[in-house]
Amino acid sequence: MTTTTTTLRTRITRRPLSESWRRRLPLLPALLFTIVLTQVPFVMSIWYSLTDWTIVPPSPRKFVGLANYGKLASDHFFRDAAFTSIKLTVVPVLGALILGAAFALLLDRKFFGQGLVRTLLITPFLLMPVVVGLIWKNQMFHGLYGVLNWIIEKLGGSPVEFVSRYPTWAIALVLIWQWTPFMMLIMLAGLQSQPADVLEAAKVDGATPFAIFRQLTLSHLRPYMELGILLGTIYLIQVYDQIAVMTGGGPGSTNVPYFVFQRSIGGGWAFGRASSYSIVVVVASIIIATIALRVLSGLLKGEEAA
Amino acid sequence: MRGRTHLAVGERRWVHGAFGLMAWIVGLVYFFPVFWMVLNSFKSEQDANTSPKLFFHPTLDRYKDVTKSATGLLSFGEAFTNSAVVVIVSTIIVLALAIPAAYALAIRPVHKWRDVLFFFISTKFLPVVAAILPVWILARNLGLLNTRNVLIILYTGLNLPLAVWMLRSFFREIPRELIEAAEIDGAGLKGQLTSIILPMAAPGIAATALLCVIFAWNEFFYAVQLNPVKGSTVPIWVTTNISTRGDFLAKLSAASVLACIPVVLAGWIAQKRMIRGLAMGAIK
Amino acid sequence: MRRILRLGSAVALFAVIGAVATGCGGGSKGSGSGGTSGSSGGGSGGGSLNVAIVDNPQMKDIASLTPSLFTAKTHIKVNYTVLDEGTLREVTTRDVAAGGRQFDVAMIGMYEAPQFGKNGSLVDLTPQASSDTAYNLGDLIPSVKNGLSADGKLYAAPFYGESSFLMYRKDVLKAAGVTMPAHPTWPQVAAIARKVNKPNMAGICLRGKPGWGDLGASLTTVLNTFGATWWSAKPDGTVDKAQVDQPAFKQALQFYVSLIHDAGEKDAANSSFNECLSQYKDGKVAMWYDATVAASNLEASDSAVKGKSGYAPAPVVKTPASGWLWSWALAIPKTTSKEALAWKYIAFATGPQYLKEAGAKIAGGWAAIPPGTRKSTYEIPQYKKAAAAFAQPTLTAMSEAPINNPGTTKRPGVPGVQYVGIPQFQDVGNQCTQEFSALIAGRESIDNALKNCQQVASQVGQ
Repeated sequence: MTTTTTTLRTRITRRPLSESWRRRLPLLPALLFTIVLTQVPFVMSIWYSLTDWTIVPPSPRKFVGLANYGKLASDHFFRDAAFTSIKLTVVPVLGALILGAAFALLLDRKFFGQGLVRTLLITPFLLMPVVVGLIWKNQMFHGLYGVLNWIIEKLGGSPVEFVSRYPTWAIALVLIWQWTPFMMLIMLAGLQSQPADVLEAAKVDGATPFAIFRQLTLSHLRPYMELGILLGTIYLIQVYDQIAVMTGGGPGSTNVPYFVFQRSIGGGWAFGRASSYSIVVVVASIIIATIALRVLSGLLKGEEAA
Repeated sequence: MRGRTHLAVGERRWVHGAFGLMAWIVGLVYFFPVFWMVLNSFKSEQDANTSPKLFFHPTLDRYKDVTKSATGLLSFGEAFTNSAVVVIVSTIIVLALAIPAAYALAIRPVHKWRDVLFFFISTKFLPVVAAILPVWILARNLGLLNTRNVLIILYTGLNLPLAVWMLRSFFREIPRELIEAAEIDGAGLKGQLTSIILPMAAPGIAATALLCVIFAWNEFFYAVQLNPVKGSTVPIWVTTNISTRGDFLAKLSAASVLACIPVVLAGWIAQKRMIRGLAMGAIK
Repeated sequence: MRRILRLGSAVALFAVIGAVATGCGGGSKGSGSGGTSGSSGGGSGGGSLNVAIVDNPQMKDIASLTPSLFTAKTHIKVNYTVLDEGTLREVTTRDVAAGGRQFDVAMIGMYEAPQFGKNGSLVDLTPQASSDTAYNLGDLIPSVKNGLSADGKLYAAPFYGESSFLMYRKDVLKAAGVTMPAHPTWPQVAAIARKVNKPNMAGICLRGKPGWGDLGASLTTVLNTFGATWWSAKPDGTVDKAQVDQPAFKQALQFYVSLIHDAGEKDAANSSFNECLSQYKDGKVAMWYDATVAASNLEASDSAVKGKSGYAPAPVVKTPASGWLWSWALAIPKTTSKEALAWKYIAFATGPQYLKEAGAKIAGGWAAIPPGTRKSTYEIPQYKKAAAAFAQPTLTAMSEAPINNPGTTKRPGVPGVQYVGIPQFQDVGNQCTQEFSALIAGRESIDNALKNCQQVASQVGQ
């Protein structure tokens, strides 16, 4: 493979301009669309973050340089939101990944009603996040009429005020519930793509099922886990809907997206300050993504990368 | 689809049975909140807003309540139509943009394709909430507020990176020899796409499209901020069934069931294809 | 090859343009362009209006009655947008402040009306309202009219009004051998609550859900009457210093929270109007301090507690009255080009005639017509009969609400009882009530909650 790559590379550099443009052309519509749609607002946000613009009370947009960023270090509300964000991303991603992997292993064997069970298990992922938040809050967690408290009381316990007492964990649980199927699908895809001949060979060599699992399956699943973590993180770091409908924010449930929302169009109306939060988040996200994608993970390394 | 792996071989029957039973228990527990929502949707508000009841007098009245359209209010029909248009059109655009892009990243890769791919994925890290203010101002200046267009454009932008990423993986699974053979036969991009790439990557494309549909159908934040009016979508319609003055759980359940059915059905039908699509090479 | 590539891109581009065009044709009906050009002079030629209203039963009633009662006569088509309180507030505030042109008529709260009016975003309704004899401006309940005005100009016409009072189960109090004083104080109410509190029936239901309009409303009326305030005022009436760290504030908050802990409802940190309503109707609480409109639910024909409740004025400590005052009102943003049509609609929706016609037509009957806006409502015979149990206490509470001087000290942001009428209050109120709600849930200390809240409140006026 490596040789092919090298020849490919040298060929690329020696190609006339028209050939490299021919390669680029199919890419351009998507690239231009994405650049316009994401970078224009981004640049606007950077500009806003350098002003003291507030809409309520209305004030003229005045350039204040980096003053908004200077205030960030001492802003413990922002810090709290950042911690909540980390908790509400790491816990659900890992929880969903572990459960998803476990469920995938359960489903990757024949049993009566296998297809039906898989259907039941993927359903949460297909539901609207708004609906998920609302049904968990109003029918599962509800302090008076909730199913969970009903079970607890039947078992002789005293009711728990899930959402108001443990907002972080209540939201994390809901996110795990919704994202487990996604992780499960990815893991199932990984399990089913295991090369059968290698497994057969291992069996013929007398390896125990556990050893096969540990040495072959796990290493085969690794890239799938990385994919799951990456995609899960991308979506879970942005969670807004469930927080909006379950708690409406507050200590322990305001993550950074919700915080930015609150500080801007959600009532704070301080667009300058709020924009500086979002820029910080974007920069931090890109740093994390760079590390995750480029250093830790092999996801971007195809054969050309060798 | 292969339903068994090495682990199932050489096991005793009861172990096998125990695993099957466990899978059933897990599945039922996981599905329970959905089951309960469906159950609540057939209750009266009195039955829904009290200690959990398994037996009650079922009624379809809540479905009638939520689908009844009052003049001027966002009706279920309008919301459904809007959602369908926005989701279908945006998904078509996503595929139209992403398929050539994935070709340029996987089959005849451009120079520095890895940076390009990284750029696409990095845009997914921009918090949607953080972009709302500039997006709102742009939309207002372009006269796009309260139109389906603004949602079509934004949902295309939301799903495009994921689609490029997934399609690239699928395209790379296609044996290079086939494409080279087609090239030697004189097939251009279009010929390669229609004769080889699209047929071979069809399950992957379907899986990608389905994910785009799920995310677009379920999107709430942009819809409520940019288009809360009559061009609005199903998630907004669901929340109109919440009341701050009076019980609403049964009505909300009925609305939720209606709102989720299309995507849930599509997901149920396409689940095997989705797994195969992911298996085909979301990784490589 | 190149030709085909170009073709491919052209197809993709075409798909985009085509889609945009399709979407455009289908989606534009909600925007301001909806086909009334030329008729804004107010002739009988019809037209259409985009109206944003809040998602309450009374608003839904009028939306369904509009075609028969309004459009049939005026040929003005009304496109309603029904939004929940929070979203409506975000959308209208942004519209009004940043010049979006989504709505010709917007429903706003009493909190917003004077502020938006003062900053020039709303049309002054006084000339039209006073010249329109059928509208009968003098019939509006004075405190409500006052709360919706700034500098003597009416900026929003009240569609719905409410105050707060104390609802209690006469039978439960009687069984416990206590009587409710005619004008109770908070210590008296707290003592009764603690006395009647039982494992299966809480003594009192108080709002604990975060939000300046939820916990914030109930708590601020308590703060006021305890002599506390969110901010002190400068001589010109603007914000001076945050007063959250003052002893009176802590004392009032402590009182409120320990009353909930000792004798409050279950899951209080998650409870607001709705949760308290269902618990009261289920017989799970003996008393409830909340909006006057609750009484119409308690006395509805399907209510299990119909006829069992007494109604007392909002409890006090240091002030003569402490009930809140709230109104949902219709306003015309200055950005609309259809001012005359908009007024026609407002005159219909908030005029005396609608109240008289609606009672016989809406599902909830006479007791469900929009309360608390006009004195004449309380003289309609059918309404007096249907709302016999609560009409008078409601009207009294509305009239006595201390809209201009809710506390014991001079404060910014009056008129306003359960809120401070300054733009930053909803933000400060939201953040602080999140802290206080966490305190009610038992995962925050009072000193920490007050410290955080003081920090938030101190940012105002800097």
